[in-house]
Amino acid sequence: MSEQLPAPDFDSQNYERPNQKWICGHAAEGKPCRPGPSARGRCQATFECAPVLEKKEGEPKGRWRCTRPGGACETGPLPDGTCCRPIPKCSPLPTLRTRRGQFTLAVVTATVAALLILLGSPPLRTKFINPGELSTPHSSDAFAKRARSNQVDQTCGACHKAGALGPSGMTAAAFHASPGPLEIIKLAQARTAEMTAIDESCQRCHTGHVFHQPNVVRDISCSFCHAEHNGAGPIAATTDAHCGFCHGEADVMAAASLKGTTFPPDVFHVARGQNVFQAARPPGGFTNILARFAEHPEFRVHADKLRDSNTLKFNHALHVAGETIPKLPGGRGLDCAFCHQPEAAGVYFQRIRFENHCQVCHSLQFDPETPGLTLPHGNPEFVSAFLHSLPRQYADLAARSGMTRTEEQQRFAREKLERLQARVTTGEDLERRVFFSTATDGPETRLGSVSGGTHSLYPGCAYCHEVKSGAQHKAEITRPILFERWLPRGEFTHAKHSGVACAQCHPAATSKDTGDIILPTQRSCVSCHSASGGVSDSCATCHTYHKSPSARR
Amino acid sequence: MTRFRRQLLIGSFLLSLVSVLAVMVHWRFNRTLPNYAYLTGWVLFAAMTLLAVYNARKKIPFLPLGSSEAWMQIHVYAGFFTVVPFLIHLNFHVPAGWFEGTLAWLYVLVTASGIAGLILSRVLPRRLSTRGGEVIYEKIPAIRHDLRLQAEALALGAETKSPVIAEFYARQLSVFFAGPKNFWRHLLESRQPLNAVIVELEELRRYLNDQERAVLEKLAQLARRKDGLDYHHALQTALKLWLFIHVPLTYSLMIFSLVHIVLVYAFSGGAR
Repeated sequence: MSEQLPAPDFDSQNYERPNQKWICGHAAEGKPCRPGPSARGRCQATFECAPVLEKKEGEPKGRWRCTRPGGACETGPLPDGTCCRPIPKCSPLPTLRTRRGQFTLAVVTATVAALLILLGSPPLRTKFINPGELSTPHSSDAFAKRARSNQVDQTCGACHKAGALGPSGMTAAAFHASPGPLEIIKLAQARTAEMTAIDESCQRCHTGHVFHQPNVVRDISCSFCHAEHNGAGPIAATTDAHCGFCHGEADVMAAASLKGTTFPPDVFHVARGQNVFQAARPPGGFTNILARFAEHPEFRVHADKLRDSNTLKFNHALHVAGETIPKLPGGRGLDCAFCHQPEAAGVYFQRIRFENHCQVCHSLQFDPETPGLTLPHGNPEFVSAFLHSLPRQYADLAARSGMTRTEEQQRFAREKLERLQARVTTGEDLERRVFFSTATDGPETRLGSVSGGTHSLYPGCAYCHEVKSGAQHKAEITRPILFERWLPRGEFTHAKHSGVACAQCHPAATSKDTGDIILPTQRSCVSCHSASGGVSDSCATCHTYHKSPSARR
Repeated sequence: MTRFRRQLLIGSFLLSLVSVLAVMVHWRFNRTLPNYAYLTGWVLFAAMTLLAVYNARKKIPFLPLGSSEAWMQIHVYAGFFTVVPFLIHLNFHVPAGWFEGTLAWLYVLVTASGIAGLILSRVLPRRLSTRGGEVIYEKIPAIRHDLRLQAEALALGAETKSPVIAEFYARQLSVFFAGPKNFWRHLLESRQPLNAVIVELEELRRYLNDQERAVLEKLAQLARRKDGLDYHHALQTALKLWLFIHVPLTYSLMIFSLVHIVLVYAFSGGAR
């Protein structure tokens, strides 16, 4: 083979040792010196041999003998015993292995140096070791201000004690942690989500570790649900897995249920400063084990067939679908949105008020011939006083109508009273009719500002209200309570459901009784909030873990 | 079935089995096992330490710690396996922080260089055996020097007395014989550089007499040897050069890993 390497005449006896750290500088010329470089890479070349002094008996000086390997040289040693053939000095070269070692050492040195610089300088360290951007609330100016007021570091040290320490301090902190780096068994035996020292940092600002129910059987570390350093924006959402950590464990739920029996029922009530419909707590508490929203039990209002305890008589079906309901001013038909108007935030609806929502039709016009004179609303005492001062009220109406002269006003009042007296026998009869009548029709088709085909004479307070006869036959009206929150443990935002027709969730068109609670059923919600519906069905979609501040006790 | 194929089959089977088991354990326990990220981190660190110890094992061959071949097999398959705990430890996410990002990249580079080294050590020796004889890497400079001396003796020596060859050598071949050439082309198995030299030599032939042609033939033979030597040099350099990435970065990776352990414990929930 023409390329046979090395050439047959090449001296292959000169064995190379790759494990040696240095090679002779003459090796590349095929002439390495025999001693080779020292272990530290210094040329050890001196002479080709070390002459030996031989003395024969009787010779005082002796002779130097050449010891050159391969045979004595022609010239022989010099008179002083020095070899006559010095080996030219070289610059030993590191072997590839040594070069790799040097390069490795350089990389290691650079790594250590870079780490010391980056970990030793606080501003660099903060950026360098931060595993991810903080959530917006924890990186805001407000947080820094809060941290300042709580006398804690405004950087990593706000939450991590080691955040304010240098490399040695962090190392000490690591070995003082519980469990520490050398406590693998303790690490494996630790309880998931148990409270740790870092929770104290959270509680400096988030005072009190408030749970959603008092019968929670184990404390949960804040960071178990609220993972930080996951980027800007709100802190990472709590997942179903976090909820399932307790609600997916039968023994935990059983313990919570048992613990719940030790508390008075009212500690579980949710108060939010609104009229909240309170369903009775089930015997076992809300301790179901769920994997999906589809498995969620029916809402208690439906499961327990609960009724609205409001004493106001209201027929949703009539108002929404009744053919006799007149048009509103401007020709607009009565619909859900007329009464149920969203708050500014769009989460809930504004409170229903007589003046805003009822009065347009139910004007409290007690005299069919006098549309301008209506009863006051809100207090039976005022109504009674109004009726007892009817001459004055008619005179005032005349004044408001443009009659300036007193005689004219008095004549107007007198005529009105005479006509009214033709309809009722006495003033007491009028007052009794006003409070207790539930008549649903009358001679007039126009009342207040609306006009329709129905005869809707003001029938009396009892038409809508529960009116009782009290002491001295005085009318007492039960104050209606219009609940504003029906599912106190579930958050709901109407604004997010603005694309859904009201009737799709609320069967108002078939509800004729105030006692009907026309909330959607769980099945109705699941139709959208499920994998097939394509809308989030996580626990946190509706439920919050912590009590709202107003609900904390 | 050859021994190598049997080893490959068993190793691949065990690697797949352990990897699948690791993924199954992850699915089963990742949400329930306490301090899961710490535990996967320790598993990863233990595996990386085992891999790093292979280098130390080579330095103490006198100790009865098993054959180097067995260690190499363990190193290769354990190296592949670490990808699984690495991804699990990262929770299949790209780290966002500078430190953790650097650590992850170091792992990726070390693993990638290891895989590259494995491929090179499987492919290149086979290619080397097809070209020329066995050349000790450390002897290549001396062999090159020897070839150069031979070529210079032929082209410039007093016996040849050919100004054409001497001029051609000084102009074209001296650079070729001076040092290692065409590193990347040899890695890519290209014969173009040698062919170019041979073509030039052939073109020179028409200007030479018989005696000079004999010298030219010898020069061509030396050029082929030099090209073969360059081929060996390129491939053997590649075989050794990947370690210049793999080994230093392994040390950096281990240093970063140790610092990472200190940091996660110092910043852990249980840090006081």
